[in-house]
Amino acid sequence: MEHRKKMQNVIKAGGSALVVLVTLVFLQRLLVPKYVDDVVEGAFIAEYYEEEKDFDVIFIGDCEVYENFSPAVLWQEYGINSYIRGSAQQYIWQSYYLLEDTLRYEVPKVLVFNVLSLQYNESQREAYNRMTLEGMEWSLPKVKAILASMKPEEEFLDYVFPLLRYHSRWSELTGADVQYLFATKQVTHNGYYMRVDVKAAGDVPGVRVLGDYNFGENAWEYLDKMRRLCAGKGIQLVLVKAPSLYPYWYPEWEDQVEEYAAEHGLRYINFLELQEETGIDYDTDTYDGGLHMNLSGAEKLSRYLGRMLSEELGVPDRRGEEALTGRWDAKLAAYEAEKQAQYAYYDMEEP
Amino acid sequence: MTGEMRNQARRKDGAVGAERAAGRISYRGRGAGLRMAGSAALFAACLFLATACGQEEKVVNGSVQNLPAEEGSGEETGAAGTVGRDDAGGSQAADGTGTSGGETAADSGKGYTFVYQGVTVEIDADAAPILDQLGEPVSYFEAASCAFDGLDKMYTYHGFELDTYPDGDKDYVSGVILKDDSVLTAEGIGIGDTREELEQAYPGEGAGAGQEENGMLVYEKDGMKLCFILQEDEIISIEYRSTVLGD
Repeated sequence: MEHRKKMQNVIKAGGSALVVLVTLVFLQRLLVPKYVDDVVEGAFIAEYYEEEKDFDVIFIGDCEVYENFSPAVLWQEYGINSYIRGSAQQYIWQSYYLLEDTLRYEVPKVLVFNVLSLQYNESQREAYNRMTLEGMEWSLPKVKAILASMKPEEEFLDYVFPLLRYHSRWSELTGADVQYLFATKQVTHNGYYMRVDVKAAGDVPGVRVLGDYNFGENAWEYLDKMRRLCAGKGIQLVLVKAPSLYPYWYPEWEDQVEEYAAEHGLRYINFLELQEETGIDYDTDTYDGGLHMNLSGAEKLSRYLGRMLSEELGVPDRRGEEALTGRWDAKLAAYEAEKQAQYAYYDMEEP
Repeated sequence: MTGEMRNQARRKDGAVGAERAAGRISYRGRGAGLRMAGSAALFAACLFLATACGQEEKVVNGSVQNLPAEEGSGEETGAAGTVGRDDAGGSQAADGTGTSGGETAADSGKGYTFVYQGVTVEIDADAAPILDQLGEPVSYFEAASCAFDGLDKMYTYHGFELDTYPDGDKDYVSGVILKDDSVLTAEGIGIGDTREELEQAYPGEGAGAGQEENGMLVYEKDGMKLCFILQEDEIISIEYRSTVLGD
């Protein structure tokens, strides 16, 4: 009798604990931002985990990769299977740990890293940290990425239990928070964020004087770590600078990257200097006045880069692989559908 | 479009949401068999409430606690009161007390402020009334944020540039960059002045003294920064910066 009562108590306690847990999980799922409607950039990092991970080329970096290169074109024209692990203002230590994270699943042949983020020696805003870090699956690289990224006012536990951070979103919940409570919506095409609209580059702001043009020690350290990790895994590291007119890319920065690339035998492509070769037209190939490429610009850059990856770095053409081709057929259909939807939305004719 | 993370930063108490949560969850607790579950859920909600209340207030995503703007107060305290060397033609207030005497768009007296032809520009203040008073800029540039709704905007006037950042439905002043020696800081310092003149104008000690930071001499006050870049002891750049957006 007493034993039975004890058992009942244990069951009650266990049941109560379970209800508490389920409630907290539910609340957390409800309150965390879903990044499906407006600020979609926060959803990019997580999408990678849904993929079949056998990519030959991985891009990492900030908006200068996820808005400027189209994996769909690399596949269509060169049979290159690639993915962009990009996120808004991705700091170089985050790029490094995203590389570590990627290596948990696969070892690409080429890693393309955009060098703009070298300008930051420490994290600037918690919001940018979260848009990169929250999408990472839990792993040692994620823990290290959080520790490397946190600003002094941030708490590690807030990343472990996002509910602690987002508890006050009650009044801002929208239909999307319920609709995507346990589901997600694909917002990129292998990490590429598509924009088809056009806004020609006009007057960009004048050059701002800096107090120090040298990249910081922390930034250099992570570039070194990235280079060494790639070398150790047999990955060819390619440094790129996207052809964005703003933020300004200083000649002093260019010199440092060129020197580093030369010293370590790395390939470095500054697309700002390849306007003629790529065919970039700042009247038609940017959607925000020269900051980022639109679809037309991204496809031009991808053709140029694809040729180099294919012919000079020997990245294989895998269009003969049936399963992979099947996956890409579906991806290309989605790519085309979004392209047409955006042309309709912006009331544009496809060029 | 609304930035989800940004918005959440504005509500800091969390109490209302937690109360609602508690109410919803406990509503389900009916009957003896469900009372335990209801209690557990209530406990979870209380725990949630406790975490909500226990959190330090933090600002994420560039949300700002805007400085209260007293439009048109006309009276300045603290370090306000810059006049342009050529444009304003009025008296200069090099002692930091400020004597612009003109209409001010936003002037809470906090931080270092920039005044142009009687218009006080305060960092992190609502930009709209300031821009209205400054009039048509010489040029304008806007840049969509990589991650936030709205646009970062840059307005260039004679001698300086005023930058804004979006937060919700409004734009706020993120920075003022002096472009040439036709404009001065409130304390009477302009591009081309010497280190000695700078140190005389900003004689702060301890926390009030200028700090070397990334090759700049930085004076921090009330959550904003006034940054000077010197080359061979001559000022080549002056910039008022918000700290909301990071460095």
